[in-house]
Amino acid sequence: MSLLDAIAGAFALFLAGDAALWRIIWISLKTALVGLVLAAPVAVLIGYAIGAHRFRGRRVVIWLAQAALSLPTVLIGLVLYLLLSRHGPLGSLQWLFSQSGVIAGQFIIAMPVLVAFTLAAVQAADPRYAETAFAHGATRWRIMCTVLFEVRFGVMAAIISGFGRVISEVGCALMVGGNIAGETRTITTAIALETSKGEFAQGIALGMVLVAIALLMNGALLLLQGDAHGARSRL
Amino acid sequence: MTALLSIEKLRKRFAAKGHARAHELFAIDRFTIEAATAYVLTGVNGAGKSTLLRILAGLEPAEALAVDFDGQRLALDPYPRVLRDAVGYVHQHPIMFSTSVAANIGYGLRARGVPAREAAAQVEAAMDWAGVAHLKNSDPASLSGGEKQRVALARAKVLSPRLLLLDEPTSNLDGAAREQVIALIPTLIAAGSSVVMACHDSDLIGLPGVQRIKLRDGRLEYR
Repeated sequence: MSLLDAIAGAFALFLAGDAALWRIIWISLKTALVGLVLAAPVAVLIGYAIGAHRFRGRRVVIWLAQAALSLPTVLIGLVLYLLLSRHGPLGSLQWLFSQSGVIAGQFIIAMPVLVAFTLAAVQAADPRYAETAFAHGATRWRIMCTVLFEVRFGVMAAIISGFGRVISEVGCALMVGGNIAGETRTITTAIALETSKGEFAQGIALGMVLVAIALLMNGALLLLQGDAHGARSRL
Repeated sequence: MTALLSIEKLRKRFAAKGHARAHELFAIDRFTIEAATAYVLTGVNGAGKSTLLRILAGLEPAEALAVDFDGQRLALDPYPRVLRDAVGYVHQHPIMFSTSVAANIGYGLRARGVPAREAAAQVEAAMDWAGVAHLKNSDPASLSGGEKQRVALARAKVLSPRLLLLDEPTSNLDGAAREQVIALIPTLIAAGSSVVMACHDSDLIGLPGVQRIKLRDGRLEYR
């Protein structure tokens, strides 16, 4: 099958409203978004805490957070597999080969991206924001909210990058989810499977969805950043 | 006159890279700010004027033997709540939160839990005082330097601080913007706050009723 044939087949699947295809897209979006929504508040708090405070060992923590960005997802999948397997310490949760397991994987995969990007945004923030908030009687919590609001585009970039990382990863979802049709089969694991079977049309169709999601998310970020830059240019 | 704030043996040192001993910026035997009194703090660049104001605002750590505020013995570290409620600080280059002018001025009121209706009335009054009422809903990023300084003064004044610290309030302004800011200072003093201004501006230094203090060679001189 040529690439053109595969693309034509992909469009045919979309137009036919292929239920299996849409189920895969739904599972992917659901697991990625739930993992991200759970990870984002924790990671943003950690990123802020590291970025805004001086403490012993801070540079080591930053080094570890940034190094975690390079962790292969398949390694995260392996560790999680061992933890969630029947005889593992978290085996009683019975999350292996379930959407909960995939979500746990997405949570762990998203964390370093969210922490590192938030940390970078907070470190780059003008210190006068926190100082002005402090000088006007703000509590620690309000100071944090104020600074995060001022670096909101950086935090949004962190969340969008985190989403990009989880929606496009294959190793962890494959190992922990088991690629079960209708249950844990995500866009990326389905592409891997369909390609190995020579079914390129569904793989191309799912790949197009991934590209569309990436374009949509980054387009939204660019639009938001465009507003911010426009405001700054009026200074 | 009664002392509003009195600090004994106030010392600021910085760790000097490559040196075993810390660099001492200043060591002040006694620093007293009287109630409802205005001061101009002068000194050459690098004398420590801004650092002294930042210490008083709780933005810099420092060593102090004894701190008395309104008859109450306090410690500077951690910076006590009673000082946070009583001290206002305006940065040399004030930064605006990216909300609106009105929201900027009301920031401290919200932080202190003032009810919305009461806060709105106080913000209106502060905007009128600073002559920025017409900018109420403006994007703070679009303000000129003078407008930002007046908004920052209103943001601090609306909290009715007992001690207001102004770091070079006119240093980055010229012409009408500078004059507008200078015109606000006597009304701040008349409102009953103690005011300490770090500055080089002769018009501020020459304001009637303002006492002069100078940081020279790490010591504080009253004049």
